[in-house]
Amino acid sequence: MKKIGILTLTIMMVSFIGCNSSDNKAENNAQTGTTEETAVTKTKPSYGKIQHVDIKPEIDKAMAEQGLRIFDVTCTSCHKYDERYVGPPLRKVTQTRTPEYVMNMILDTETMIDNDDTVKCLLQEYMLKMPNMQVDEKDARSVLEHLREIAQQ
Amino acid sequence: MRRLTTIFVSGVVLTALVFFMIGCPSTDKTAVTGSGQGNEAFVPPGKHDDFYAFMSGGFSGQIGVYGLPSGRLLRVIPVFSQDAEKGYGYSEETKPLLNTSHGFIQWDDLHHLQLSVTNGEQDGRWLFANANNTPRIARIDLRTFRTAEVIEIPNTGGNHASPFITENTEYIVSATRFSVPNEYSGNTDVPIETYKENFKGALTFVKCDNKNSGEMSLGFQILMPGFNYDLSRAGKDKSHGWFFFSCYNSEQANTMLEINASQKDKDFIAAVNWKKAEEYIAQGKGKMMKASYIHNTYDESTHTAKSETLTDVMTIDPAECPGIVYYIPTPKSPHGCDVDPTGEYIVGGGKLAAIIPVYSFTKMLDAINAKKFDGDFNGIPVLNYQAVLHGEVKKPGLGPLHTEFDGKGNAYTSFFVSSEIVKWDIKECKVLDRAPTYYSVGHLLVPGGDTRKPHGKYVIGMNKITKDRYLPTGPELTQSAQLYDISGDKMRMILDFPTIGEPHYAQACPADLLKKNSLKSYKLTENKHPYATLGEKEAKVERKGNDVHIYMSSIRSHFLPDNVEGVKLGDVVYFHVTNLEQDWDVPHGFAVKGGADCSELLLMPGETQTMKWIPKATGVYPFYCTDFCSALHQEMQGYIRVSPANSSVELKANTLAKK
Repeated sequence: MKKIGILTLTIMMVSFIGCNSSDNKAENNAQTGTTEETAVTKTKPSYGKIQHVDIKPEIDKAMAEQGLRIFDVTCTSCHKYDERYVGPPLRKVTQTRTPEYVMNMILDTETMIDNDDTVKCLLQEYMLKMPNMQVDEKDARSVLEHLREIAQQ
Repeated sequence: MRRLTTIFVSGVVLTALVFFMIGCPSTDKTAVTGSGQGNEAFVPPGKHDDFYAFMSGGFSGQIGVYGLPSGRLLRVIPVFSQDAEKGYGYSEETKPLLNTSHGFIQWDDLHHLQLSVTNGEQDGRWLFANANNTPRIARIDLRTFRTAEVIEIPNTGGNHASPFITENTEYIVSATRFSVPNEYSGNTDVPIETYKENFKGALTFVKCDNKNSGEMSLGFQILMPGFNYDLSRAGKDKSHGWFFFSCYNSEQANTMLEINASQKDKDFIAAVNWKKAEEYIAQGKGKMMKASYIHNTYDESTHTAKSETLTDVMTIDPAECPGIVYYIPTPKSPHGCDVDPTGEYIVGGGKLAAIIPVYSFTKMLDAINAKKFDGDFNGIPVLNYQAVLHGEVKKPGLGPLHTEFDGKGNAYTSFFVSSEIVKWDIKECKVLDRAPTYYSVGHLLVPGGDTRKPHGKYVIGMNKITKDRYLPTGPELTQSAQLYDISGDKMRMILDFPTIGEPHYAQACPADLLKKNSLKSYKLTENKHPYATLGEKEAKVERKGNDVHIYMSSIRSHFLPDNVEGVKLGDVVYFHVTNLEQDWDVPHGFAVKGGADCSELLLMPGETQTMKWIPKATGVYPFYCTDFCSALHQEMQGYIRVSPANSSVELKANTLAKK
């Protein structure tokens, strides 16, 4: 019951936010593979406890491999790479969202859902709050590396 | 109802008259009606209670967990009974916890509770509970509020004086309320009228791995004369090393105990020097006997319980080992047997008594040294009553049962017959205050009131009779409990609340001791269940002869697989469902139509549980989530198709074949 209450409240809040095309564009980009908004998104500060992620140009293979293991257990129930499932497809997520956004969605899910306009619009579209899967920071970082890797494939 | 009320009112009037005639102090009018303020027990919405209270569910075989002072019911912990709300005793993983040497027992009678202690103070690690009917002791893990272990007690009938513990949780005791033919004699098929020669009363000391896992094992068993051993308490501080057991039926009657076991003016409290018993055993004076008893343990990494049968029991005969046991004469059908926080005073309750005897541990040791005995019973010395008596509380009320302490030199005793709690000064043996209970109080509780460090503040009376306290609900009523503030000189009732089953004993501890340790979910990365589905990629179906294993995942809001075909009549289907959620308070339920053996599961985040489902007819059976999980909870469903035994439909399911 309390969950419905929170959801209803969230929907009410969302209804005050204009989910315009530019918000949805990021999603579309993920599906089409375009990256035109990347630069714009990256200039925004992220909500949540992760304010900076060190990213090297090359992929850390070992880290990405560990990330795949975590991804398979904790993420695949709702996310596929290339098609909409319970949640959005994730192949191009690292090209349309900042590393901080990805990390905070995993680690500080509730804060992102409550504050980030893009996430609010996604909630309106998918109607399901992403659960906090209690992943630790090291594992979340490895999931990010895995997502960076698959974006190149 | 009116007739009942009339009878009841007459009873109250009669009791009041009896009181009047024996000249007891009149009852406090403000206590009768409560404080009238009605807000002292109020905990505002969103705020937490100060104490956890664990109250036995009696014949429900469960434990109710309440917040104090609000009296809000927070959880029911299943221990010795199947519990549909939790799936306990229904899933394949939890069934073994109810195994005994007599087979799977669905329903038992849980009486008393004890929180683990270190140096005589609550340490917040475990809670112990006893099964009275088919004798067992259970250990509940206070991180999960779940039953972690159950050990059966052999050679015992009616495990009542249990699970009382020593001050460092070295031992948890069990004692036979119904003496039984000695299992170790090789012949228990004896005429009941040979009670005196063939029946024994075993006192069992169950060892606890108190420094580590808490796991229990049988330490030793003292084979006592065949009395009814009733309640017990460990010594503390100066009396640490001793244990005190009340007993009745020293007449050794085997029929109509109501009359035949009330013949003698005094029965006994058995004072047991368990450290001395340990010494005798170390010297080889014990005898290893053969029995058959079950030990059930729950493995938190596999989410699965297992049962093993054990056979060895170390026994010791007090007649052959002097100095282990002494009997203290105790008047009028002894019941409660409680030791004050200093360990010096032992308070006896007598179901038919009109005084409360208080014994002194120091005097007891002196009497033993000076051999102030009034004979013996089967070789066990009987101490002289006056020599060990500290004092008697005169005219305290009728039928004193149990006593708790506030750590300020006061004792609180429950009186069943006169339906009241009486506060008295231990040293002076003097009544200070009395408060009526509604109605016929049995056990009572002060948070930490049985330890070396009581937390005081409240006393709760747990009543045997409810009658008109709440809105009527037909012939079956909930039980009633009353909460009194004891921070001042006078006890003041501040709350009246219902409890489940019949609460016998209860325990309470500060909330801070437990809440920081409370587990929120089972980590998927630590899930070692052999049939776990760790991620949807692992979802699959497998046939092994007539057994079909379905590895299924559940997450908001779908199962995978959610379509299964190729099951045939005659198959036994095992649904191994893993809840892939890792967030707190996101359980999923799982229900399949027509499961006569088991048809529902409840899965905490990260947990795997198994339903054994045996279809009885062909067709397509729906299954669904029973615990509201998201806006699309109604969509969380699936189908399993059952075909005839000779069908050629292949076993298949819609698992994740592609990325």
